[in-house]
Amino acid sequence: MRILIVDDDPLAGEMAVLILESAGHQCQRVENGIEALELLQDAHALELVVSDMNMPLVSGADLLAELRERGQRIPFILLTGDEPDVLAQQVSGADGVLRKDASLEETLPLLVARQAASR
Amino acid sequence: MTTNTTTFEARKAQLRAAFLAQLPEKTTASRAQLAEIAPGRVDPSRLEPLRRLFHTLKGSGASFGCADIAALAADAETKLRAAVEEQPVISEARLQELHQTLDALEHASVDTEAQTAGIAALSQPKRTVATKTAEGSYRRAPVAIVPTTGVGASNSDERDRLSDRQGDQQGQQDDQQGTLERLDKLIYLCDDDSAVAERLSDQLNCFGYQVKPFSGLAALEQALGERLPAALIMDIVFPEGEQAGTDAVRELARRDDVEVPCIFISARDDFAARLQAVKAGGSAYCSKPVKTTEIVELLDQLTHGQDPQPIHVMIIDDDPELAQWHALALEDAGMVTRVVTDPSQVLDQLDDFNADLVLMDIYMPQCSGPELAQVLRQIPGHVSLPIIYVSSETDIGLQHQALEVGADGFLTKPVEPERLVASVSLRAERMRTLHALMVRDSLTGLFNHNAIMQWLEVALAEAERDRRPLCFVMLDIDHFKSVNDNYGHPTGDQVLLALSRTLRLRLRSSDIVGRYGGEEFAVILRNVDTDEAWGLMDQLRIGFSQVVFTAGEDSFRCTFSAGVSSFPTFNAPEVLTEAADIALYQAKHAGRNRIQIAEPDAVADGKRGAA
Repeated sequence: MRILIVDDDPLAGEMAVLILESAGHQCQRVENGIEALELLQDAHALELVVSDMNMPLVSGADLLAELRERGQRIPFILLTGDEPDVLAQQVSGADGVLRKDASLEETLPLLVARQAASR
Repeated sequence: MTTNTTTFEARKAQLRAAFLAQLPEKTTASRAQLAEIAPGRVDPSRLEPLRRLFHTLKGSGASFGCADIAALAADAETKLRAAVEEQPVISEARLQELHQTLDALEHASVDTEAQTAGIAALSQPKRTVATKTAEGSYRRAPVAIVPTTGVGASNSDERDRLSDRQGDQQGQQDDQQGTLERLDKLIYLCDDDSAVAERLSDQLNCFGYQVKPFSGLAALEQALGERLPAALIMDIVFPEGEQAGTDAVRELARRDDVEVPCIFISARDDFAARLQAVKAGGSAYCSKPVKTTEIVELLDQLTHGQDPQPIHVMIIDDDPELAQWHALALEDAGMVTRVVTDPSQVLDQLDDFNADLVLMDIYMPQCSGPELAQVLRQIPGHVSLPIIYVSSETDIGLQHQALEVGADGFLTKPVEPERLVASVSLRAERMRTLHALMVRDSLTGLFNHNAIMQWLEVALAEAERDRRPLCFVMLDIDHFKSVNDNYGHPTGDQVLLALSRTLRLRLRSSDIVGRYGGEEFAVILRNVDTDEAWGLMDQLRIGFSQVVFTAGEDSFRCTFSAGVSSFPTFNAPEVLTEAADIALYQAKHAGRNRIQIAEPDAVADGKRGAA
C-alpha cells in the first residue's frame, strides 16, 4: 500500500516508515498536518494515513476530522503515547488506534494488512 | 521502493542510536526553559514545551525499546500535568523534581547507549501488550441460563429469576474453610454514580453475567458478607475518599481472608491510583469511560480461566519422524497440530488451517526456514504469524538470517517437550491477545468486518476441502435509524447488543458471528444448506421480533431482514457476500422482516468462477 506517515517527531516517523516498509509497503513521511492535507489533496496517490495524535497546531484528530469534512474516506490509523482505548472513544472515524510502544512493530503491520485486505 | 526486510534490525538500531544521541540536546534545551521559570504562579503555556518533550519521549522511548526512558518521561508528564491542572502554581520542590528528571533522562540515555552499543544489531525490543485482555478472541460469550428475553426493563426480572435459581443451587456456607461458595456468573459492581452502575450492569447482563449494582460501600460490604460473587467491579473514588475503593478491597482481603478477583474502574488514570489498585490485589484496571467489551473479556478471563479454543500449531519439517515427535508433544499439551513435510505445500495448508504459530525446521533441503519465512511475511495475512525455528547449534548463519526476517524464537535440537510446549504456548497466547484487540467490534464484542471476511475465507476453504455446504448470511435491523432518532443512541446500542446476543446464544458454536458494520451483521453457517439456513434464520427472526425494548416510558419492538447465499452455488468470498447483499436488498424491498435466499444467478455473469 502507499502510506502517508504523519509525525512531528522525525525519528518516531522514521520508525513507522521502517516498520511498514519492512512489511512491503511504500511510505511517504511528513512532519505536520498541513503538509499532510496538501499531499492528500491528490487522494489517488495515497491509500492510507498513519498519524501521530499529539502534534502541535494540527493534532491527529484534527487532521482526521478535516479529511472527513472534505469527504475523503481514506483509511486512517492514529498512533498515541496515551491510552488507545480512551482515545478511540473520543475520536470517531479512525480505522484504528494503536499505542506507540514496542508492540507497534507487530500491531501496525497487522492492522495495515487488515486494511489492505478489506479494500 | 523495494521490500527490504534484511536490514530491518540494522536500520532500527540506527534509529535507536539517533534517538539516544539526540536526547541530551533536547534535555539541555528543556533545562534552559525550566531555568527561566520561577516558583509560584506560572503561565501553563510556558510549561507546554516541557510537557510535549516528556510526552514525545514516553512514546518514542517505548517504541525504541528504552523502557527506563519511557517510564521516567511518563512519570514526569503525569506530575507536570497534575502540577498545573488544579491551579497554575508550581512549587520550588516540583521545579527541583523536574530538573532531576531531566538529569535522570540524560543518564538513562548514556547508560542505554553504552549497554546496547555491542548488541544493537540483535537487540530485541521489549514487547508490551497494550491492554490486558482475555486471549479468547475465538471464545464465545458465556451462555446465560435463561433464554434471550428483552433488555432494559426485563433485565431486572431476569436478574431476580437468576438469583432465585442460583440461590436454590447454591450450597451453604462452607464452615470448614470459612469461605463462601462462589457463583459462576454473579458479579458485584460498586460505583457511587448509580447511572454508571446501572448502565454498565445492564450491558453486562446482555453478555450473560448477572450483575448486582451497588452505589455505596456499606451496601456492598453487607452483600459480600452474605454471598461472594465470581468477581467484583469496583470504582476507586467515593465520597469517603480518593482511594476508598481500593482501601475497601484491601480491607476485605485482610479481614476475611478471601480473594475475590477485582477489576477496578476509575476516572483517575494516574500512576498513584494504578499502584493502589495493584497493591489492593486488583486483577485489572480500566479507566473510565470503560468499554463494555473490555470488561466482558476480563470477566471471561477471571471467571473461566481456560480458553476452550486450543492453540493451533503448524509444524514444518522435512523429517517426518521429528515432525511427528514434536506434534505428539504439543498435542499432549492439548494443542492442535498439522504437520507439513513439503515446504511448497505450506501456503495451501495455511489457507484452511488457522494457525496461531508456525514451528519450522531452520534447515530444509528444498528451501531454508528463513527463506520460507520471507515468503510468508510477504503475504498480508501472515505478516505477524509467530515463527519458532528448530535448529542445531551449528546453524548460526541461518539463525542470524532468521532474525532478520522476524524470528520469534529458536529451539535447539534436541528439544525437550517441556521447553517446546512452554515456548509455543507463550508466543501463541501473546499473539492471540494482540489479535483479540484488533478483530473485535468494540460495542458488541463480535468479530468485526475484517475478521469476519477472514473467517469466511477460512471456512470456505474448509468447505471446499470437505465437500460440505456453507451459508453466508447478512442481516440488517429494520428501520434502525428511527430507533436512534426516536430513542437516542444508547437505546440503539441496546438493540444492537440484544441482536448480537441472540445470534451468539442461539447459533451453534461452530457458526461464526460478526458485526459487518452499523446495524448490519454477518453469520457464517458451516455445513448447513440453504433450507436449513432459512429455517434457522427464520426462527431467529421470529424470536427477535418478540423482544420488547424499553426506552423511558416507551416500549417498542424491532425486526430484522436477512439475505442468505450458499456454497457451492457461489464459490468465492466476494461472490458469496455480493449475493447475500443482493438477497438482503430483495428482502428489504419485499417489505422487510423476512429471510431471502439468493437466486443462483443473482450475481452478474463471469464472477462466479472467481475462486
